[in-house]
Amino acid sequence: MDTESRKKTLQYFFEKVVGPLGFKFTPDADLKDFLLEQEVTLEAKHGIPFCPCQPIRNDRARDMKIVCPCIPFHRQHFDQMKRCWCGLFVHIDVVDPDSLPQFPPHSSIPEGSAGSSDG
Amino acid sequence: MDKRFIRAIHSDQIAAGGMKAVEIDGLEVVICNAAGTFRAIQRRCGHMNAPLEFGTLDGTIVTCGMHCVQFDVTTGHALCGPVPADLGNESLPPRVAEYLGNVTQQMAHIRTESIRTYETKVEAEWVHIAL
Repeated sequence: MDTESRKKTLQYFFEKVVGPLGFKFTPDADLKDFLLEQEVTLEAKHGIPFCPCQPIRNDRARDMKIVCPCIPFHRQHFDQMKRCWCGLFVHIDVVDPDSLPQFPPHSSIPEGSAGSSDG
Repeated sequence: MDKRFIRAIHSDQIAAGGMKAVEIDGLEVVICNAAGTFRAIQRRCGHMNAPLEFGTLDGTIVTCGMHCVQFDVTTGHALCGPVPADLGNESLPPRVAEYLGNVTQQMAHIRTESIRTYETKVEAEWVHIAL
């Protein structure tokens, strides 16, 4: 088992899941590579590719909601931000993920920071 | 030494995305129809010898039905280790928990090896594999 092969495998399967949800991998290749590598490490340790930016709390009900791609569990928040928390996935129309605002759940989009997209 | 291609199975017996096990000269092989391209891999999983045709084939990735270990059918490379059993949140009877603890401890010593692949060719609608 090598990390590069596993990264490609995760990408292959994740694409099938996030595409129909209206998301895609971030166009930032370095970030994508880094995050996938962290997920491979987490999967090797826990058997599950948890979101690399969220803590594992050993509360199964909660931890299952941070298994990547965790979009279905936090859809409302991600749709508002046009990206997921760690930034591995962005809305299909996003071309510049760095311009996207981040804000806590249950808050409104900050004034004048709607994010860059070609749509 | 020249490769010896042996007729294994008629190509219309495996739909795209399907797998079928065959035995040739005592050798167990799984023929995979990976999106129209036929591939041949050893039948036994590189983790715990489960028959791989009971798993699933997605593109060129076969997932073992027993512990969800994945392999690339083009290279035979193991792509991940076993996935832990999902026991949920329910507490188990102490004896069962102890048993599962022992099994987990022993399984931790099992390595996942890459599997063997075999060259294939299709001639007159028959899939041949090189031994």
